[in-house]
Amino acid sequence: MTPQQAEAPEADLIAELHEVLWITRPDADVDLIRHAYDVAAYWHHGQTRQSGDAYITHPVAVATILARLNADDPTLCTAMLHDTIDDTPCELAALSREFGTEIAAMVGEFTRLHRIRRRGRKAAQAMAAAVSRDTRVLAVSLADRLHNMRTLQFLPQATQLRKAREVLDFFVPAAQQLVAQQLRMDSVPSELETLASAALARNRYARAASGRLVATAATLLPAATRNRWREEWLGELQTLPTRKDRGSFAAHTALGMVRLALTLRRRPADRG
Amino acid sequence: MKYELRITGPVERVLSVLLADPAVPRYGLEISKQADLETGTLYPIMARLERARWVESRWEDPDVSITDGRPRRRYYQLTRDGAEQASRALQDLAQARHKRRSSLAAAQPGVIGVPL
Repeated sequence: MTPQQAEAPEADLIAELHEVLWITRPDADVDLIRHAYDVAAYWHHGQTRQSGDAYITHPVAVATILARLNADDPTLCTAMLHDTIDDTPCELAALSREFGTEIAAMVGEFTRLHRIRRRGRKAAQAMAAAVSRDTRVLAVSLADRLHNMRTLQFLPQATQLRKAREVLDFFVPAAQQLVAQQLRMDSVPSELETLASAALARNRYARAASGRLVATAATLLPAATRNRWREEWLGELQTLPTRKDRGSFAAHTALGMVRLALTLRRRPADRG
Repeated sequence: MKYELRITGPVERVLSVLLADPAVPRYGLEISKQADLETGTLYPIMARLERARWVESRWEDPDVSITDGRPRRRYYQLTRDGAEQASRALQDLAQARHKRRSSLAAAQPGVIGVPL
């Protein structure tokens, strides 16, 4: 990196990645990963995220998420390069020359998965297909989505809702499947779920008084079930035609909250 | 007959709504309207019914809600066991009511009860 670039936020991110690797993967091929960064930075040069950050900050963040999970070198390189094919003029043949066939194939597989989703085909099928192939590519896909969810507030509301729902419907199950396969991603499914549910809870009426009332009251509920109820109520709230209806719904629902919390906190063994 | 949960008046109304057609899944707002219960009463009941496994709930297929342009709904439906227990509970309740009414009717006015 040139000295001018060292001031940029991506320099901090690269430094963080190095620190993480030092702990989780002391044997990592830092030069190779660094090379993947340079190639990705070259292709993404001039592109920005919705947040205004340089685009390259995203692949670095995704690689860092994976580095924390002890991902291997090809996975970390794939993370760095994951958007080069779809979002830049870079071609797989070039990646194959630079990084060899394994990494190029993984980036290709990631891109294929991504395009299937963009075409709107049943994404669950795509995820299932990925699980049967290279689980490392699915791990990159999950880390990509996790970072996108962490930075979701910069996207338009409709996109937020669609992405959040996608996450709950198949990214969380896919992540759980990876955990079941002992891929050391135990924290990923729960974080994805929390972020996605929070995004859904921030829907159109979540900021109106009625939505805030319901959301606040829901904090009384046990954490494990809170998001489900909040989404259910904010959804119902949204379908009510008038403000008065919504206010009344919110008030009554909030009144029932203590009783609901007590019901949910009672251990199932207490039944009968 | 002992049930896993107490059949209060509101619970009875929810069960009647669900039993009207146990094969049809219904969402919270719909049940609350049909049973004429406020949501603050309804949701704790739904949670109790669910814990007792009389009722199951699941999210609506997202494709449907996206096509309809609204948030997905949480649908509730009686389980097979729940439907059996619920209809038995409602029958028992109706019987008990009938018995009480006939015993009251048989009672002589003025014989029971305190003078005003």
